[in-house]
Amino acid sequence: MANKKKSEDNLKGTFYAVMGVGIFVILVWVYCFNLFIDRF
Amino acid sequence: MSLNKLTTVDRRDAKLALAHIYVAFIALLLGGLAGLLQVFVRTGQFTLPAGIGYYQVLTVHGVLLGLILTTFFIFGFQIASVSRTSGTFSDLQRRLGWIGFWLMTIGTTAAAVMVLLNKATVLYTFYAPLQAHWIFYLGLTLVVVGSWVGGAGQVLRYVQWRKENKGSKEPSPLLSFMVVINNLMWLVATLGVAVSVLFQLLPWSLGLIERVDVLLSRTLFWYFGHALVYFWLLPAYMVWYVIIPKVIGGKIFSDSLARLSFILFLLFSVPVGLHHQLTEPGIDGTWKFIQVILTMAVVVPSLMTAFSMFAMFELRGRELGGKGIFGWIRKLPWNDSRFFVPFIGMLAFIPGGAGGIVNASYQMNQLVHNTIWVPGHFHLTFASAVVLTYFGAAFWLIPHLTGRKLTKSINNLANISGILWAIGMTIMSAAMHIAGLLGAPRRSDYSEYGGAQQAYDWIPYQIAQAVGGTILFIAILVIMYVVVKLIWFAPKGEEEFPVGDVHESSGPTPPLLENFKLWLVILVALILFAYTVPLIDIISNAPPGVKGYKLW
Repeated sequence: MANKKKSEDNLKGTFYAVMGVGIFVILVWVYCFNLFIDRF
Repeated sequence: MSLNKLTTVDRRDAKLALAHIYVAFIALLLGGLAGLLQVFVRTGQFTLPAGIGYYQVLTVHGVLLGLILTTFFIFGFQIASVSRTSGTFSDLQRRLGWIGFWLMTIGTTAAAVMVLLNKATVLYTFYAPLQAHWIFYLGLTLVVVGSWVGGAGQVLRYVQWRKENKGSKEPSPLLSFMVVINNLMWLVATLGVAVSVLFQLLPWSLGLIERVDVLLSRTLFWYFGHALVYFWLLPAYMVWYVIIPKVIGGKIFSDSLARLSFILFLLFSVPVGLHHQLTEPGIDGTWKFIQVILTMAVVVPSLMTAFSMFAMFELRGRELGGKGIFGWIRKLPWNDSRFFVPFIGMLAFIPGGAGGIVNASYQMNQLVHNTIWVPGHFHLTFASAVVLTYFGAAFWLIPHLTGRKLTKSINNLANISGILWAIGMTIMSAAMHIAGLLGAPRRSDYSEYGGAQQAYDWIPYQIAQAVGGTILFIAILVIMYVVVKLIWFAPKGEEEFPVGDVHESSGPTPPLLENFKLWLVILVALILFAYTVPLIDIISNAPPGVKGYKLW
């Protein structure tokens, strides 16, 4: 029963989605950091 | 009292909650109108009639939406949430709620009258040396004191639940726990602004003292100000963590994770205010850096929340037969406004959070400081993520409290308001972010800056802001129509107050997470660590104070 429950809890989509959020945060930061370095 | 027996909010508590919600939506309409006038003025094609000043309208917009809509809606929602999950308020607790409501309402009216009379055009941050009429400061003091009194009523109801359930292995009701965390954070944070108003701004505006230390007042304001944004955000998180799972037919991913995330927000809400003052002289760089680190700690509970939301959606979507990596997304109830409208808010929080990390990145703050990027940022975090969640909650909370139904046609209108909001805000906020990176200042009235080319480059973005702002105002009108329907005209019936159950594979909640004494001690220690030396520095190296200015 416990094993069956475990196999149903597929969180692959969550993993990719949270990674996607993280990558987006990094991209925005790097873009702004570039602007910052260019200007200051 | 068993939690399961409580499914509705007591009529007397409902009346108290509704009183707060009425004021909140009046503030939304008036504050939204002020926002519309602002974006029109900034196109350069429109002048305000009858001698109304741009900065006066800006003050109305900020105070009504940032301070009044929020505080009143939050209190309405929190009162209903505690009554629903911990039990009906006692007469004393409810009386505290009403005293708090009237103090806040009188204070709001007093402050609003002063702003409308053009005696308090000091924006919602009321920075010295801009000096408002003393009644404005007194009004804001009443709002804060009223919130303490009303908050005490909510906390006392939770304390009563803990007493009645002593020895129980069940954790306290999650929603009530979250309300208490938010009230505690608010109490600790408002101490800063209370000290500034009572000992600096109020006596200064009354003429009892001639000069005021600007840096000290700004530091005390931001000791409060950053926690203020979490005070707005945490009720939205309450909806995300506890209400949305029930709405979509799923489960709360983890009770412990939700509680831990709230505790982390409590700890990192206050000792971070200096990140709003990163370009300010007079504060040692080391302490700014330390508070930047503490600010970045907030990334942890934010990503915990992102994970928890996605996991809750995925588990439910797969339960409904969603296949593949993202197939579960299609299975979610997209035509239910109680889910759809807050979901738009969640999406807006992703670019909002990313922008926030740029703002707080110390030296990089120079890139965006005092530019219109910053309003672009908080129109995503606050004016989208937070308020869309409030609206999504209002769509079931108001009919629950008034004994009416959210009908299919009202639900569809509510969804349309969410779509309009998303379109309007995407246009307005994107234009603000881009113009900000091009150097356009925030707060400022329309100006061509003596014909400077750079200033001409900003104008197309200001026109885009007016387009976006107009769509947003139309969304507000639709929301007001929905709210009026739900208060007075929707068919009588019972609307559910959804409270999610915890997922069966989520482990037991450690009692440590409910140990308020421990977390408060850590909070106070963090605040003392982050603020003692900077405040001593600011006070002992203070330049002569400044007289008040009325520049409007």
